[in-house]
Amino acid sequence: MLLSMKETILVVGGGIAGMETAVQLKALGLTPVIVEKNSSLGGHVAQWNRLFPDMTPASKVLEPYDEALKEVDIYTDTEIASINSLQKEYAAVLSNGKTLRCKAVVFATGFKLFEAEKKEEYGYGIYDRVITNRDLERWFDTRSDERVPAKPAAIGFVHCVGSRDVKAGNSQCSKVCCITAIKQAIEMKELFPDTEIYCFYMDLRLFGKKYEDFYINAQRDYGIHFIRGRVSEVAETIDGRVQVKAEDTLSGKPVKVKLDLLVLMSGIVCDRANNELARSVSLPLDEDGFFRSLDNIAGVTRTDRKGLFLAGTCSGPKTVPETLAEARSAALQVYQYLKAKKK
Amino acid sequence: MIDRLANGFDPFVIPFMVGMIFVLAYCGIGILVILFQLSREDRRRFLLSLVKPATAWKNIKDIFLNCLIHVKLWKRNRVLGFMHSSIAFGWFMIIVLGHLEVWLFVPERIRLLYYPIFFNFFVAETETTLQGAVFFFLMDFFLLLILVGIALAMIKRIRSRFFGMRRTTRASLLDTIGLYSLWSIFPLRLICESFTAHISGGSFLTVPMNHFFRWFFGNELNYLPTWWAYSIALGIFMLVLPFTRYMHIPAEMMLIPMRNAGLKVRHPRRGFARIQVLSCPGCGVCIDACPMSVRKENLKDCTVYLNRQIRHHNERRITEISEKCLMCGKCSEVCQVGVDGPLMRLKQRELKKYSINQHYRNIRPDSFPVEGTGKVLYFAGCMTHLTPSIRKATMSLLSKAGIEARMMDPDGGLCCGRPMLMAGRQEQARELIRLNTAIIRASGCDTLLLTCPICYRIFKENYKLDGIRVVHHSVYFNELIQSGLLKVSKDESRTLVYHDPCELGRGCGIYEEPREALLAAGNLVEAHQNHAESICCGGSLGSLSLNYEKRREITLNAFENLTAEQPDAVVTACPLCLNTFSHYADRPVEDLAVVLDKASES
Repeated sequence: MLLSMKETILVVGGGIAGMETAVQLKALGLTPVIVEKNSSLGGHVAQWNRLFPDMTPASKVLEPYDEALKEVDIYTDTEIASINSLQKEYAAVLSNGKTLRCKAVVFATGFKLFEAEKKEEYGYGIYDRVITNRDLERWFDTRSDERVPAKPAAIGFVHCVGSRDVKAGNSQCSKVCCITAIKQAIEMKELFPDTEIYCFYMDLRLFGKKYEDFYINAQRDYGIHFIRGRVSEVAETIDGRVQVKAEDTLSGKPVKVKLDLLVLMSGIVCDRANNELARSVSLPLDEDGFFRSLDNIAGVTRTDRKGLFLAGTCSGPKTVPETLAEARSAALQVYQYLKAKKK
Repeated sequence: MIDRLANGFDPFVIPFMVGMIFVLAYCGIGILVILFQLSREDRRRFLLSLVKPATAWKNIKDIFLNCLIHVKLWKRNRVLGFMHSSIAFGWFMIIVLGHLEVWLFVPERIRLLYYPIFFNFFVAETETTLQGAVFFFLMDFFLLLILVGIALAMIKRIRSRFFGMRRTTRASLLDTIGLYSLWSIFPLRLICESFTAHISGGSFLTVPMNHFFRWFFGNELNYLPTWWAYSIALGIFMLVLPFTRYMHIPAEMMLIPMRNAGLKVRHPRRGFARIQVLSCPGCGVCIDACPMSVRKENLKDCTVYLNRQIRHHNERRITEISEKCLMCGKCSEVCQVGVDGPLMRLKQRELKKYSINQHYRNIRPDSFPVEGTGKVLYFAGCMTHLTPSIRKATMSLLSKAGIEARMMDPDGGLCCGRPMLMAGRQEQARELIRLNTAIIRASGCDTLLLTCPICYRIFKENYKLDGIRVVHHSVYFNELIQSGLLKVSKDESRTLVYHDPCELGRGCGIYEEPREALLAAGNLVEAHQNHAESICCGGSLGSLSLNYEKRREITLNAFENLTAEQPDAVVTACPLCLNTFSHYADRPVEDLAVVLDKASES
């Protein structure tokens, strides 16, 4: 049964986690309000072309939200200036000057993609033929990027850029890059069947449904080369291509390949811009900089502060289905929290 | 002035004599042992230097300026400088004047060690007092100077922050005994001399006190016990001296001539190293200087503790401290005595036995042939290959200036050898040096250009490349700018801060050229601590055991120091510093070459 309550719930962030949470809260009879710092909703998914493992267009995932969020208050281009804890509720001051009183806050602030410039040895921003996974997705959409050659003879994908990398300050696995690299490699092979494609990986973490099949397809049907070994350095050749040096740790030999395009799999890292927000409501952060859940088994969407909840990648790297499931879970947690309070 | 006692002896001098003879014997034997531990060549060089007038004069001058006046300390901290020089110089003058008095008035007693010290007990004033009045005054004056110094020392013990020191070492039990006996020596001397001032004469301090004591006590029963106390305080101080930090007083007088003779640490415990360890006064200036000290758990990994552990023969800690160090050299830069902490650690590392010893026998110099004929040979090295922006900007600047240059390692090359050298693996380093030297010689270049200070330092210090100019890009590009070959336009709106890389600054003494070059491209502000006192970025390959998580805090602290003046960008001249900072930086971090390349016209 539904509680007859019209309590306002603040949802920070309008990516898929925030949108899904809001939809579910609405369905539960609550009044969600989404605050999004960018000018449109959709977050990282909106910047993606197709999603693994079924090559689902990202737009198809986002489409239903237009309709579902019709009756939800949404503030775009708005940031949270501060959140103050009152006796029984929270008061959030928005950057547009408004103050929002709410019974609970769901943080769906998401993640940042690792800035590939910081791994300078891969030459992003220095060489003309080096792009990131996001750049490639944009290119799939727009087909215009000077860095992507018209007829590449060879393309390389570097896994784990800025993730699982203590030197870069991120020891966590970014979870989605292995499968994204395979997806993008297949997409490129479909576009350029004569192109040689290499994936440089540490190890492949293909945990999800259909991922392993996807990988076997890539090897067997598309002939994509998988080289186990980290790329040590990238240099520019005189003809403007890039030369990649790596060690093939399976054969124990150094390899050197000349490529027309190098795609860096920038990993999911925490968004340091959230630090201030977390501090203002005394929410603890984990060592990796993501929000700390109450626990990592049954309390992933809860925190140790009353009325504050987490949804999606603000608590760590996640896939799209995981994020959606978590958003629904967060909505239910909010609902139960309010119900318990009512009694 | 005449002898008061016919035999010139009183039992109270015995404690002093015991201490004095012990200390002299200890130091005498110690010097012999250390001389024996020196290599034959070093020993010859040291002994010859003692009789050479130029070095002998330098020794005397340095000992006077450093051990007595503490010039270096004055420059750093005036109050501490005054405190140390008042005690050291005052005490020295009292001893000299004491001897002078004995020599002038009772020359037959000059052979007795204790006579100049307890002169006022053994003599009586005569009609010719005026001759001694100058001495009385000087004695009282220097005693007062020392007492002021001791008073400051007491304040420092209670509140070291008054003296601008954040952290200092904790004294051991023996150090404390030494400290209290040292503190008590001079007040006791004042009281003793005051008791006997009406017999042996005195001046502005002792005479009024003498009147007061005689009025207060009304008898002379107290003066012998105080002379005993004075002698016992001296005796205790000298008996514990070899086992306390106060050993630095005699040791430093030995360290200075040895250093002036050009001796260096060859073994981490023996010979010169021993003298260096004993010369450490344990002041703890290196604690605040050490970049690792931002981490509480690394507070005891700086040089003062290395010296202490070497004195305590704690092998486990000696190895640990030696391997952890970033080898940035800041401790020896700020050290008042000039203890070369990094070199001690390096020699310790050289003792380590490895089960696998790499060799490069399969590599021949012609494995890496250098193409082209340009006279300028550019060696990027491994770190520059990992920071391609530097390599790209350097090549671009060279072509803009019309310099015909070529790369020594465009597609792979050999390591310069410095990482191996810093790990204490001399043999491997030597092999790399030999191979690289052959490659460079074969190329026929006349200038070797380097963008990495780590490479630059080993090429400069350990390679024998006579006839070939080894130059760091900061110096080279500055020359090109100053001579007008490179046209750089200044962006007045942009403020830059320059980070002195350890290997380039403290390592090679290059501070001004990079700043001069940068001034052509933008406005410069300085970091809070800069030049020779700049803070290591934390990425140094000097440390063999610090992991990345632990280095994080060091890097953040160094970065905070750099951005004190809120510059728009941080500029460095070392690919490793660049790499380390850029992971944590909140604003652009760039190499000098990149800044110049952006600002120059083609």
